[in-house]
Amino acid sequence: MKNFFQRLKNHSKLAFFSFWFLVIFYIVSFLADILAPYHFDYQFRDKPYHPPTKIHFFDTQGNFHIRPFVYNTVVDDPVFRSYREDTSKIYPIKFFVDGPERKILFFFKTKKYLFGVDKPAGIFLFGTDTYGRDIFSRLLYGGRISLSISIAGVIISFTLGMITGGIAGYFGGIIDQILMRLVEILMVFPSFYLMLSLRAMFPLNLSSIQVYLLIVLILSLIGWAGLARIIRGMVLSIKEEDYVLAAKSLGLSHWRILIFHILPNTFSYTITALTISVPGYIIGEAALSLLGLGIQEPYPSWGNILSSTIGNLRVLGDAPWLLLAGFFIFVVLINFNLLGDALRNVLDPKNW
Amino acid sequence: MEYVLKIVNLAVSRRERTQLIPVLNDINFFVEKGELFCLVGESGSGKTTLALSIMRLLPKSFVVTSGEILLNGQNILNVNEQSIRSIRGKDISIIFQDPGAYLDPLFTVGVHLQEALHGTTEDKNQLITKTLKDVGLEPEIQLVYPHQISGGQQQRVMIAMALINNPSIIIADEPTTALDVLTTRQIINLLSKIREKYHPAIFFITHDLELAMSIGIRIGIMYKGHIVEIFRPDREKPLHPYSGILLGNIDKKYFNEKIPVSSQTDINDWCPFFEKCPEREQKCQKKIPFIWRDSLTGIRCIKHGRNHQM
Ligand SMILES: Nc1ncnc2c1ncn2[C@@H]1O[C@H](COP(=O)(O)OP(=O)(O)OP(=O)(O)O)[C@@H](O)[C@H]1O
Ligand SMILES: [Mg+2]
Repeated sequence: MKNFFQRLKNHSKLAFFSFWFLVIFYIVSFLADILAPYHFDYQFRDKPYHPPTKIHFFDTQGNFHIRPFVYNTVVDDPVFRSYREDTSKIYPIKFFVDGPERKILFFFKTKKYLFGVDKPAGIFLFGTDTYGRDIFSRLLYGGRISLSISIAGVIISFTLGMITGGIAGYFGGIIDQILMRLVEILMVFPSFYLMLSLRAMFPLNLSSIQVYLLIVLILSLIGWAGLARIIRGMVLSIKEEDYVLAAKSLGLSHWRILIFHILPNTFSYTITALTISVPGYIIGEAALSLLGLGIQEPYPSWGNILSSTIGNLRVLGDAPWLLLAGFFIFVVLINFNLLGDALRNVLDPKNW
Repeated sequence: MEYVLKIVNLAVSRRERTQLIPVLNDINFFVEKGELFCLVGESGSGKTTLALSIMRLLPKSFVVTSGEILLNGQNILNVNEQSIRSIRGKDISIIFQDPGAYLDPLFTVGVHLQEALHGTTEDKNQLITKTLKDVGLEPEIQLVYPHQISGGQQQRVMIAMALINNPSIIIADEPTTALDVLTTRQIINLLSKIREKYHPAIFFITHDLELAMSIGIRIGIMYKGHIVEIFRPDREKPLHPYSGILLGNIDKKYFNEKIPVSSQTDINDWCPFFEKCPEREQKCQKKIPFIWRDSLTGIRCIKHGRNHQM
């Protein structure tokens, strides 16, 4: 494992950075309950479309404050929703503040958050949306959903692809025929329509957990087929390798050879392919959300945060911070692609 | 006399579309307990095919059309998949030509040895360390990946894997072809040391007759899927014209022009060496059986076979 990081670093500094960037991104979004100053559905009724809050070090008299602070804001013009800072009172940014109890990942209770300011002021690093909800908090919570959907989807695709591709390629014959025809049936449909029709098979009024699981299932059901085909092809070629013959000459069973010698030798490819496919799941979820078939309000996902802006051209000019979800999707996508490209070389045992 | 391996009338063909192309024909020989039997033949003569038939690891396109392969008296062509697996690596093991390609790049040497080990009552780690010592490797090599060691060391690892269950016979298919002269000598010495210590029979396949002459107790010469001669290098000279050519005693280019190769259809049944034979005669244009001179040696040639029978 230490070897792996060293190799990744030597191969490409950029990919090494991408790797850690993604790790931190995932950790941050999974710790949303501590890091987010507000719960995802907490609404500042009087502050819709609020721009990112200005953080000050100097007050109106020009005094320097070691602890940064914000001002409360009031509506300046209700038609254009512009806000004015009320400089009569400063609200210092506090760290490790207390607030209503939340459960970290549904398990550990916490009343402490990383930072916050006293009411009625608010700290909106990325502004607020139509309902006056803090975008920064919603992006953190949304990241938890979008990123976990992608990981869960990838794991299921990977497992299904490995099992079917491995069995089809190794044992061949009639099993191969049946499995590959099945895969081809899945592959002939354009994946977007397949996704929609699969979603259409289920009712709309599902609970959030059900929708979440359903999306994971739909996305991985679409993802595994291509992987299975490629793994089958690789297994077909790897099973002719000399070390497989040698493994047979030791008296190892077919399953042992398939699981310990053949499939692991596809990993350098599959892990790369999966890394590059992760953004596809995030985008798939976003596409479903865009059509209102994904994660439902008030639960945030990057997809439905983004979709709330679509069809609302005004937003692009007046509240561009609502598009940050798209930016996050883009950043994650770029980093996964950079990492995937580097993994292709790093994971190849011949380059060790 | 105790046979470890006895092959009776073995014939193997390769399936090419609808045709069956013979690769091995009428193979009859045996390897005695603890013997070092060398099989010599040029490229494509079917040496590897024979080795893989014995392991029952022939590719799917090959079929055994007749014969028996008796390993310690048991015909392994008849046993089921489960039993052959318990025989492989335990009673019979094999070392291949290019050691690098035969080790899984993803696993360390230690993992390879663990895998090679069939159920044993002894302490596993102790047995592995002991076997590594037998092949001249340090125990620390277990932590290393195959591509990090030299070809000679890789071949020692393969030998350790073949040796670890103390099999009654080890097949070595051109184990030194991929190695340099010095390493070849070391590996040969290692194999003979192992034979002295643990007394496995060794079925040594090579294309190098000189090498075979220097180590083998008996040598089988293979030509186009036929064993044409079996002899003991320290007792008698090989007599088959093909053996002579291999030894460089006879000029390859010269062959008897007086007997033209007629385009008869049954040419496949003739002496396999007829086309190239310097001593060929009209009477060679027929199927020639392998004639045993005594219980250990024999020849597939009417001229020399006759002489010897008298
Ligand atoms: N995988 C294969 N597919 C098709 N034909 C094959 C295959 N392997 C071997 N053959 C054919 O079978 C015959 C015997 O080959 P074999 O590998 O047994 O020869 P060999 O004596 O081991 O040669 P070498 O010294 O090159 O290893 C050859 O004529 C070869 O063309
Ligand atoms: Mg060969």
